[in-house]
Amino acid sequence: MKGFSHFMSGVAVASFGPWAIEAALQGNPIYFILGGACGILPDTLDFKFYRFFYEHDVYVTPDPAHLDPQYVADEIARAVAMAADEKRYIRLKLVSIRLGADFWQQYKVQFDNEKMTVTVKFGPVVNTGQVPVRGTENRYPAVGCAPLKAKVVQTYDAQLRVDIFDGPTVGLAPREDGGLELEFLPWHREWSHALTVGIFLGILWALISVFIGGWSMAWQGFVTIAACYGVHVVEDQLGHMGSNLFYPFSKNRTPGLHWMHSGDGLPNFLTVWISCILIFWNLYRGQPAMTYHFTFLHLIMVSLVVPGVIFWVLRKLLNRATTEEVMKGDDADDEWNEMKAAGS
Amino acid sequence: MSSFWIVLLSVIGGTVLSSLLACLPGLHVYNVMGALVLLILGLEGTAYSIPADVFVPAMTGMVVGWAMLNTIPSVLLGTPDESALFTVLPGQKYLMAGRGYEGTMLTALGGLAGAFFLILVVAPCAPRYLPVAQQVLKGHMHWVLWVIITFMLMSEWPKGGNRGPAGWAKFYDAWKTLLAGLATFLLAGLLGFILLTRSPVDHTVAFQNIMPAFVGLFAIPWCLLNIISAADVPKQFIAKSLDVNGDVILRSVWSGGLGGGIAAYFPIVTGGVGGMLAGHATAQRDERIFIMGQGVSKFIYYVGSFMLLFVPGLYLTRGGGAWMIKTLYTPRGDADYFLVLGCISIAAAISYLMMSPLARATLWLIDRFNYRHVSSVALVIILAMVLLVTGWVGLFIAIVGTGIGLLPVLFGSRRLNCLGILLLPIACNMSGFGETITGWLGLT
Repeated sequence: MKGFSHFMSGVAVASFGPWAIEAALQGNPIYFILGGACGILPDTLDFKFYRFFYEHDVYVTPDPAHLDPQYVADEIARAVAMAADEKRYIRLKLVSIRLGADFWQQYKVQFDNEKMTVTVKFGPVVNTGQVPVRGTENRYPAVGCAPLKAKVVQTYDAQLRVDIFDGPTVGLAPREDGGLELEFLPWHREWSHALTVGIFLGILWALISVFIGGWSMAWQGFVTIAACYGVHVVEDQLGHMGSNLFYPFSKNRTPGLHWMHSGDGLPNFLTVWISCILIFWNLYRGQPAMTYHFTFLHLIMVSLVVPGVIFWVLRKLLNRATTEEVMKGDDADDEWNEMKAAGS
Repeated sequence: MSSFWIVLLSVIGGTVLSSLLACLPGLHVYNVMGALVLLILGLEGTAYSIPADVFVPAMTGMVVGWAMLNTIPSVLLGTPDESALFTVLPGQKYLMAGRGYEGTMLTALGGLAGAFFLILVVAPCAPRYLPVAQQVLKGHMHWVLWVIITFMLMSEWPKGGNRGPAGWAKFYDAWKTLLAGLATFLLAGLLGFILLTRSPVDHTVAFQNIMPAFVGLFAIPWCLLNIISAADVPKQFIAKSLDVNGDVILRSVWSGGLGGGIAAYFPIVTGGVGGMLAGHATAQRDERIFIMGQGVSKFIYYVGSFMLLFVPGLYLTRGGGAWMIKTLYTPRGDADYFLVLGCISIAAAISYLMMSPLARATLWLIDRFNYRHVSSVALVIILAMVLLVTGWVGLFIAIVGTGIGLLPVLFGSRRLNCLGILLLPIACNMSGFGETITGWLGLT
């Protein structure tokens, strides 16, 4: 899911603690800040800390002055050969190509398991908004191609695209059938997306805060942190990629439920909106001396069901004659590209 | 003349005036409205006193016209106010691709969609549900601000650290931009504490005391960047179609409505923050939705916050426009509410129709003159405006603001961090420890 959806979910979970509302009414925002921050923290740990310390076996660094797709293809094939020959996990870094303050050279990598080749093609120059600069689409017609020593199995059928800011990391894991499994961003959701890490951080908070705010602040903070961190992990589990749920007790990611892609618009918006509704409901319950009264069902009808039906009907009416094809990506690819775009 | 014609002519006059003023870089509609308020107060009790039938519709028209058309200087001249901050980057990309007209018209279409949303969806529900919401949320405004600040600071993407082996050097390279962002936020917050506690601006223009800082933080750095980088604006094309379907409109309304709605309802959460939230709630891969969403968000922020003052049973004062009109007039009952809704509808239609000719005229100007010269003239107008309204002290504040506003430009961090000028001091004040901090700073 997108960062904003996780963040709002964290705030919503924090609002379930009566202590959070009580503290807020007295001018103390700490539990809500903790909720939002822990809601987004697993991705923050990965994208802002861990990836800069992740070691790679092969760095593919194209020279911006002499762009050569064959060099890129050869280096990728070398990494594949290393993984196949040495039967070990190889971490491959595809470095981005910066051409100016706002311009990046895009390139795409495609594995073909029938022909046993990897092909690389330089695409257009794009700006930091990932929009192609007109007239640069066909500047480099040459295609780099190199033979592969082993099949590279991808979990989704897509090209690897490298353009703005940091380029992706690809993990090549040997399989029993002799092929290799391609993992996109292997450093993502490796240890940070674990329920146990949330509990650990909660304990850390409790140990520190017990001396500052006493026992109640310690356990209330622990519950807030563990729950808000955990909701991020649970939400990501609804997608395809899954998470390493019980690190360090579990080593691999548990596959997700495949209910959605992390970049899908509707689930993300619904998460944000439902979080807002839940926050509102919890604040209402905690508000003393209300003159207005309503039930949860009433709130859901007014804020979710009725607008949802109207929206659905409008959408049907407005899109009667059109069909819009939405490209489906991979969870990691969605998060990688959209976090870069949204956070700039 | 009957009341109908007085109201109609007033709203048309206000809309046309602000639509034209919106094309001038650096001038904010609230500056003009502030001057009008002083004029109206001055004429009160004389034979020339201006009745509410005239100034309420006129000011409504001014807010609407501004909300719709201030995209023109933001996108085409590169001089945004903070509410248009998120429109500028994709908007200028459109400009550099020869599609400046399309970019501005997409934002205007977003504004029009926002007007429909406000009038047909929000307005009928507002008197029934917003007073309830206000009762629930009234003790919780402070933490909403803190939560927004947290998200703003945590969601910035590290721009560096793209090359080289793993390790601390790479980490530091990446975090340079983030640290610059944090420094910008804190410095802007410090400036905010000073201006909100002991403003050096003369008390006669006290309601404009934050204006020079905003101009310095947001508009001047952009002008300087345009002048220094001296980018050649390519020939602009007038698109025959905006390639927008119902799905794009609906998705823009849902993201922009959420961002703009939050900005309109919560105090100090400005249009820039609304734009950021709208951007995060949008599918980033479709720039049309992003740009239209920004148009929706901006319109709902300006006009929606103004409208809240007139909602029966609520009468909530949010945004500069509402605060100014409140000094002149206290809204009463349904009649005023319907009057303002009618004025918003008329003004939205007129200002949308004015968008195309005014955008074409500005593009003609850019085409005829060097973009660097246009930006230079824009900078001179901005500085003159600051000097005229707030004097030399204001100009000094603008220079200080420019210093802070240039940090994101130099380090490539997020410009929205400049909003620390309002967010930090007000959040501290609302949580009850603002005075402690101003005490530490020696301000109180």
